[in-house]
Amino acid sequence: MNAFEYASPTTKEQAVKLLGNSWTEAEVLAGGTDLLSLMKDHIVEPKRLVNIKSIKELGGIAGTAKSGLRIGALVTIQELLDHPRMRKEYAALVQAAEGISSPQIRNMGTIGGDLCQRPRCWYYRAGFGLLGTQESGEPLVPNGDNRYHAILGNSGAALFVNPSSLAPALIAMNARVKIYGAKGQREVALEKFFTAPTTGSQREYDLQPNELVTEIIVPPLARAKSATYEVRQKEALDWPLTTASVVLTMTGNTVKAARIVLGHVAPTPWRSTEAEAAIVGKAVSEATAEAAGKAAVEKAKALSKNGYKIQLAKVAVKRAILLAAKGGTR
Amino acid sequence: MAVGKNILRKDGYEKLTGAARYVDDVTLEGMLYGKTIRSRIARGRIKSIAYDAAFDWSQIVIADYRDIPGKNYVALIEDDQPLLAENEIRHYAEPILLIAAANKDLLEAAAHHIHIEYEQWSPVLSIEDALACREIIYGTDNIFKRFLIGRGDVEEGFAQAERIIEGEYRVPHQEQLYIEPQGMIAIPGNEAMTLMGSMQCPYYIHKAIKQLFHLNDEQVVVIQMTTGGGFGGKEEYPSVIAAHAALLAHKAQRPVKLIYDRAEDIAATPKRHPGVIRHRTGVRRDGRMVASEIDLVFDGGAYVTLTPVVLSRGVIHALGPYACDNVRIQARAIATNTPPNGAFRGFGAPQVAFAYEMQMEKIAAELGMDSLELRRINMLREGDTTATGQTLIWSVGSEEVLNEAVERANYQAQRLAFSQSHSSIQTSTTNHVEAHKRRGIGLSFFLHGAGFTGSGEAKMKAQAGIEIMANGHPRVLSGSTEIGQGTRTIFSQIVAEELSLDFSAVEIEEPDTSRVPDSGPTVASRTCMVVGRVVQMAAREVKAKLLHFVAERFAAPEVELREGKFMVAEKALADFQEMACEYVNLFGELRCFAHYASPPEIEWNEETYSGDAYPVYSWGAEVAEVEVDMDTYEVTVVRLTTAQDIGRAIHPLLAAGQIEGGTLQAVGYGLLEELVWDQGRIINNRLTNYIIPTALDAPDMETIIVEKAYPHGPFGAKGVGELPINGAAPAIAAAVFQATGAFLSEIPITPERLQAAIEKVTTDEHR
Repeated sequence: MNAFEYASPTTKEQAVKLLGNSWTEAEVLAGGTDLLSLMKDHIVEPKRLVNIKSIKELGGIAGTAKSGLRIGALVTIQELLDHPRMRKEYAALVQAAEGISSPQIRNMGTIGGDLCQRPRCWYYRAGFGLLGTQESGEPLVPNGDNRYHAILGNSGAALFVNPSSLAPALIAMNARVKIYGAKGQREVALEKFFTAPTTGSQREYDLQPNELVTEIIVPPLARAKSATYEVRQKEALDWPLTTASVVLTMTGNTVKAARIVLGHVAPTPWRSTEAEAAIVGKAVSEATAEAAGKAAVEKAKALSKNGYKIQLAKVAVKRAILLAAKGGTR
Repeated sequence: MAVGKNILRKDGYEKLTGAARYVDDVTLEGMLYGKTIRSRIARGRIKSIAYDAAFDWSQIVIADYRDIPGKNYVALIEDDQPLLAENEIRHYAEPILLIAAANKDLLEAAAHHIHIEYEQWSPVLSIEDALACREIIYGTDNIFKRFLIGRGDVEEGFAQAERIIEGEYRVPHQEQLYIEPQGMIAIPGNEAMTLMGSMQCPYYIHKAIKQLFHLNDEQVVVIQMTTGGGFGGKEEYPSVIAAHAALLAHKAQRPVKLIYDRAEDIAATPKRHPGVIRHRTGVRRDGRMVASEIDLVFDGGAYVTLTPVVLSRGVIHALGPYACDNVRIQARAIATNTPPNGAFRGFGAPQVAFAYEMQMEKIAAELGMDSLELRRINMLREGDTTATGQTLIWSVGSEEVLNEAVERANYQAQRLAFSQSHSSIQTSTTNHVEAHKRRGIGLSFFLHGAGFTGSGEAKMKAQAGIEIMANGHPRVLSGSTEIGQGTRTIFSQIVAEELSLDFSAVEIEEPDTSRVPDSGPTVASRTCMVVGRVVQMAAREVKAKLLHFVAERFAAPEVELREGKFMVAEKALADFQEMACEYVNLFGELRCFAHYASPPEIEWNEETYSGDAYPVYSWGAEVAEVEVDMDTYEVTVVRLTTAQDIGRAIHPLLAAGQIEGGTLQAVGYGLLEELVWDQGRIINNRLTNYIIPTALDAPDMETIIVEKAYPHGPFGAKGVGELPINGAAPAIAAAVFQATGAFLSEIPITPERLQAAIEKVTTDEHR
């Protein structure tokens, strides 16, 4: 790990001033579960770390059943899981959070950090840059080992998959994210927050180097049914191969409205309007859920080694719909 | 009585409380930190090495091959592996330069200012490429080593066969993944060099350093520090890291610490050999094997290192625990431009075990017979003869382990139940998620030769000793290392039992080449059975001397040693400690050394590769029950039942721990672990993407220890370290075969591989 300066501001105004104008100057430290390993591997080498854990206003969960939720960016995964309203109203978010790695990571890792963590692409993590290229600039992923790479949204330069566990559930819940920066406060739909970079020096989300995610706003969901289904190779200390989060508004067994978002299939969390269209207006059954799963992967395009992920994505959507309709418990 | 009891382990308290000191806990006055600069290509030559002029190099010590006083090779079997590359590069991450500095920041900065240019040559990266000989990278045919085992008349055997069944099996690299990465400290002296660090074999390092620096036995001292696991990964490679640290220390004339981080450790150090194993088996309709032809190829990587010995164990175990009169086994190890593969628990046997057990499943399926029955028809029993012509004369627990595992797992009833339920489960729609799951149960049966192969032990003549300390307690002198497997504990038990003392009275000397003799390396499941036996013999000698001394002193001819006391009939004359002290005071010291001698019944012919390949075998049988999600291809191991005959268990709990740990490591081998290569480099060299099973992935395990005493082991003990890693992968694959109908001839059984196999079955069925 390289030497760095460490700053611990107590207000977001101070924090933003300490962040630089380029990504190479400073990194934001919250739980640090991803950042420290990136630094140890010399993947990022910031000159300064800005610890935001002392900024009180970035913590806490507030809100009512009517107003929805306001979740501070510093809320840990475990705090999220322990919150009394979560299990009842936000099943998809709880199921996504429960899948995260290990108790140690859930106690340290924050919701803001989960959204801003960097891709797990092994070329990126082995030092070949965000897009995985040779020193000559030749891309490594298309002809390399891409078994865990994107099957959707993979026509550009970015072929990694977004690693966030919570983003699919939050996007399915139509969450918004509040951002504070040198130019003041702004708010974007989480769905629009993630981007697929076209060069290795860009980031995978709509943030400037001197901006901070401060909170996540989740609309009220008391009457919707939701679920997250993950397919994984290992039970702990690993990221899923594919996930699907669904939020269904139902009358009886009939779906009135749906939001369906896949994770780990594209460079951004992937909202599938095709799957939504396939299930809206239908009664939930094996057959209709299966049809929605098929619709979700209609436009999927396998790379050389990840064809099996298309099947996984299809199954994840199907099972998430069935799980949500059942009331969210497996 | 100490043997057979689950006493607290000798090294437990220090490890549990954090008092144990590992190499990275040590900082010495004036010590520098070292780093290895490695190649970034798989094959080619170095065109130039440039050092940025703007950087202040006066604070950096740099060493290359020209700084080596002796010859530029790492002493192992052949002298082909340079300590530092001179011009030609033969694998990615090959060491080229060494640098050292007073702190790690400076070291990292310096590394950024070194620029190496290469001329790249076309690399050989797979077994197929090496055998095709498009590029020649070793000898005339890329072959490091060949073995041939022959018995009976194979052509005649195939002529008698009613069915001939062929199979090809592929096994991958596997990383040892000890918790503590490799690390060493070198301390230079006047015409001397001391090494301390994480290792399995202090005397390997001793040998390598003597050659490189023209030093003698006394001038080189190697000390093992508390070691956080080895699994074979710290057998040969610590010689490289020790030599690198020593070279920097020699040049700087200051101590140098060289510790790998995880990424470097996975990228550069040896792995389990990948292999391709082909079986052609002739059987009669009743299942009896009448001919077996096996062709086995291991990928040795860029240098020979230990590959011939791994191949040797592989070829000898290739037929497994089965009898066949007509056998031909051809084995080849080939060279590729990948980091050298080396020692890993099992040492060639897990690779061939997957192949021979899957071949049994295949034969059973093609004959339409039960694979348990097929195994019973062909299994080796006491008095039977192996592929090398060895007649099994003692300690053969084959039937016991097979019967125990099958009974305890309720194998036959479960297998029947699962096969009947598959069609009904498939069409059930009562439970959305569960409807897609299928269960299966599978069996594996295996053996493992304990100790060195062939005449290895006879040549090694392992030494160990006992000395009586000033307080009258015995101390064990042995170069065998504690790497978590329990060396210190079981040696104490053996000595305590032999001298009828309390276990706590026995001390174990630190493995330090200036204080302990060469007991041979801590490998090959030999520490308990071979070195433990030598320790027992040394203890017997101590006992004999003291009995004689006491008899003389008390003029009592019929003295016995019981419960720590010298007795004549029921009368206690003196206790052990008192007499031992008196002896030392009178004679100056009491030290007894013993050498290992192979049992006289054992004969091995190195030329014909026939005879008694091992003095004795350990036996195992394992039953795996799995659940497979037929839509996502996730495989969950629900239960593992294993019975293993390891001879007398000196410490049953530690032995069970070895069995469970080895079994879980084999679950990783069978299901999860895969090194991902791109143009000769490993791209998943991180703990986040080289995935191994965690506690949550561990199935319920039932472990049954079968104790068929071996007359030449200490108190009847055989080897236990490696046997357990042979069984899980084929048992799981057999269970997946039952559950899905998909026959997996390659591991690990990842979701994508299983999908392809299941789709193939479905396509074939629809044809």
